[in-house]
Order: sequence, then C-alpha cells, then structure tokens
Amino acid sequence: MPNKTGKVLLIDDNDIDLKINYKIIKLSGFFEEIVLCQSGEEGIDYINKHLNEPELWPDFILLDIQMPEMDGFEFLEIYKNFSREFLDHCKLAILSSTLDFGDIKKAEANPLVLKLLKKPLYPNELQTLLHKHSTLLGI
Amino acid sequence: MSTPTVRVLYIDDEENNLQAFRASFRRQYEIYTAISAAEGLLIMQNVDVHVVIADQKMPNTTGVEFFKSIVETHPDPIRILLTGYTDIEALADAINHGDIYRYITKPWNDLELHNSIKNAYDAYKAKIDLRNKMTELEKTNDELNRFIYSISHELRAPLVSVIGIINLVKMEDLYHSSGEYWSLIETCSNKLDYYIQKTLQYYKNTKDVPDHSEIEFEKLIGELIELHAYSDKDTKFNVNINQNVKFVGDAFRIEVILSNLISNAIKYQKSNEPNKTVNIEIDVTEHQASININDNGMGILKEHLEKIFTQFFKSKMHHGSGLGLFIVKEALNKINGTINVSSNIEDGTTFKITIPNAK
Repeated sequence: MPNKTGKVLLIDDNDIDLKINYKIIKLSGFFEEIVLCQSGEEGIDYINKHLNEPELWPDFILLDIQMPEMDGFEFLEIYKNFSREFLDHCKLAILSSTLDFGDIKKAEANPLVLKLLKKPLYPNELQTLLHKHSTLLGI
Repeated sequence: MSTPTVRVLYIDDEENNLQAFRASFRRQYEIYTAISAAEGLLIMQNVDVHVVIADQKMPNTTGVEFFKSIVETHPDPIRILLTGYTDIEALADAINHGDIYRYITKPWNDLELHNSIKNAYDAYKAKIDLRNKMTELEKTNDELNRFIYSISHELRAPLVSVIGIINLVKMEDLYHSSGEYWSLIETCSNKLDYYIQKTLQYYKNTKDVPDHSEIEFEKLIGELIELHAYSDKDTKFNVNINQNVKFVGDAFRIEVILSNLISNAIKYQKSNEPNKTVNIEIDVTEHQASININDNGMGILKEHLEKIFTQFFKSKMHHGSGLGLFIVKEALNKINGTINVSSNIEDGTTFKITIPNAK
C-alpha cells in the first residue's frame, strides 16, 4: 500500500459524496491530505494558486463527471493545458456514478484519465489503482 | 364526422372554364380560381390550398412550368394537370419535374375530376399526417433519450451515495450495530441499483442503432471477469480465447450479452460446491465469434429452459430480476446473433452464442 504522504484533490459538486469519499479515503489512510473542491472551477483555482510551489501540488485527483457549469470533461479540457511537469506529477481518475455508455467511453479514451472508477468508491479498487501506478505517483 | 374543408385552386386562362368549375364544385369545396400562373401564385402565397389544378396551355407560363416553379416553395399541395391535348413530352416533363399527382384531359368529366380531387386531398392529408407523426415521434424519442440519461445520472447518483454510506458503516465497524437493519438497507439498495442498470440496458438496446467497433475478446472478457468476480472471489475462471482475426461488432450490446451471462454464471453457483468453476471459450473466425460459457452451478430445470429468455421469468427458488436473459436475447436479436442453452442439474449450464463478424 502506498504510504500516506500524498495529497488528493476530490472534485465533486455533491457535498454528500464529497463527505462520504473524504471519510473513505481518510479511514483507508491512502493520502495524508485531502482537499475538497465543490466544482471544477474550484479545482482549477486550487491548482493555479499553487502552480509555483511544486511541494504543494496534489498527487492525485478524483474527478466527478456530472457537475453544473463546468463538467468533468470541460475540466479536463482546461486541465490538459497545465505544464508537462505538473501533469507528470499529478495523476487523475474519474469517479462517477454514470452508466452512460458515451460518458464511459469518452472517459476511457482520455489520455489523462488513468481509470474510470464507479461510485460508490471502494477502498480496494482505489488501492489497486494507486498500487498499479505507484511509480508514476511517486508516493 | 364533419367533412373537412378542402381548398382547391384552379388556374386556367379561360374565364369560361373557371366559371364552369366553380359552378360544378363550389358546394363540395372551397374554390379559388386564378386567370394566370402569376395570380395563382399570389393566392398560394396567401392561402393554404390543398389541391392545385392547372391548365397546361396558358400564355406566358404553362401549367407544367408553374408546377415546376412551386416545387421548392410550396411542396405540400397536391397537383393535378389539366390538358386539352395529349402532349407526351409535356406530360413526361410534368411527372418528372413538376411532381404531378394526376393528369386529366379536357373537357373534364365532373365525376372523374371530383374523384381526383378527393383522392388528391387524401394524399395531401396522408402527407401532412405522416409529417406530424414524424415530429411527434422525434419529440418522444428526444424525451426518452433525456429520460434514459437522467436515469443514468440523477436517479442513480443518490442511490450510489446511500451505498457509499453503507460501505462507510462497514469500514467503521457499525454494520452489526443495529441488528440486521444495515444489511437490509444494503440488500434493498443493491436490488434497486440492479434494476436501474437492467432497465437502462434494456432501453439502450431497443433504441440504439448498431455500432461497429473492433473488439478484442481477451481484453473484454478480462474486464468483465474483474468486474463481476469482485462480488465473489471463490469462483475459478478458465478462459480460452482463440482470436487471430479482427472482429468488428456492436461493442455495447456484446458487452451487455457477455456481462449478463458471466454475472449469471457467478450468481447461480451451488453454495456447497467446493470447486466453483466457469469455463469461457471463444473462437473467432472471419465470419463469426462462437462463445461458450459453461458453469458447474445449480443448472436450469428442463421445464424452465423454454422460458428463461422471456421477460420477467423468474424461477421460484432463485431470486433474479427476470430481465438478464431477456436482455441478452433482445440484444442478440438486434445484432443477428444466436443463443442456445443446455443444462442439467448435475453438470450445470452451457450457453452457446454466435455473433456475426461485421468486418
């Protein structure tokens, strides 16, 4: 299991899901720090704010698809323009309750998305994913 | 039933004909007359006429020329050409370019013309009705699409939150803190989620046009086993896939078919079987994929074999939704696949499927 040194960004407009996933990650101890963002904009703002402080960069992002204003795919359109360095450091998975075939295929086709995790979040699934990419994650 | 008002426009350069027409038909129809093509056009621009009758031989613009000129601007009214002489060329031209419904020779016979107008109006009505139905259908389809999309998001999202909370309850060791209440909530939530998923699969299957994408069975089966074995770690899978050629098919439906069968193979195991096994064999050729899925589970009673593919069929002993195999069959029908099942209580069940290679 990865050591708890990293920082994860949860981006989800649903505050109940934010709370649930916060607790699940907290209890599993996968990450030391959990940052909650209620919208895609908040997520982008957070990254922008710390762009010049690599030690504050998140190591991992869990991104919801269905959100008002900026949805997960729009977030990714902006996200992909961050520096190569940042994108190499920070990995991203989608966490969504969607069953829409189009959404699923679109998410899987995006090169920045490691995997589409389906809600509810199971600690084992997240652990397997983190484990698989632990070298990439550097944690 | 009240007779509908039929609006007929008659264009002829001879005033006598216009008057005779009026006299013969004014009781049955709402009659508009015009002495020239130009005047006729003016009327059409202001009145929604259903049937247009035009004389062929007119100065300036002939009947055919007039019909040609309104093909784009007034496609709906049904056209009848009146002609005093048999000019084959004019007729051919009228039929090919003027969208003529019928032609009638002069002098007209009242009954014949009356019948032609009646038939022309029926044709007009059928055309408009069909268009209205199309619009209605498109609207219904759009609504259904939105409904399906909202089921897959809005309706499912809160349910998934509930399941997430139940997982937290387990992680915090509170699952047994309230008798069996948590496990009951979990069972109900899972059941509801299952129904939502199956309903979506069903609707998507009936609606979507088949797609053609390349399918690697090795990868697909691997993913599906990973997905379903999550709930049951005891079952052993023997997978044997022989795919040396490219296979093209409907990715969504094939996934639905295999997913339902694999899930069933896991779900209907004997609880006391020490070596729960599922064998999957796939052979892909230029023409088709042959898939065998065999399990040593509880099997299907002979008298049930006929019925398992019907909607909402459930055996008394095992609680399924009655949707899984029905959806499998429907999906296979859509992509011209076949399915056969053999089963007995001792050896379990084998499903044999073929899916044509759309390469």
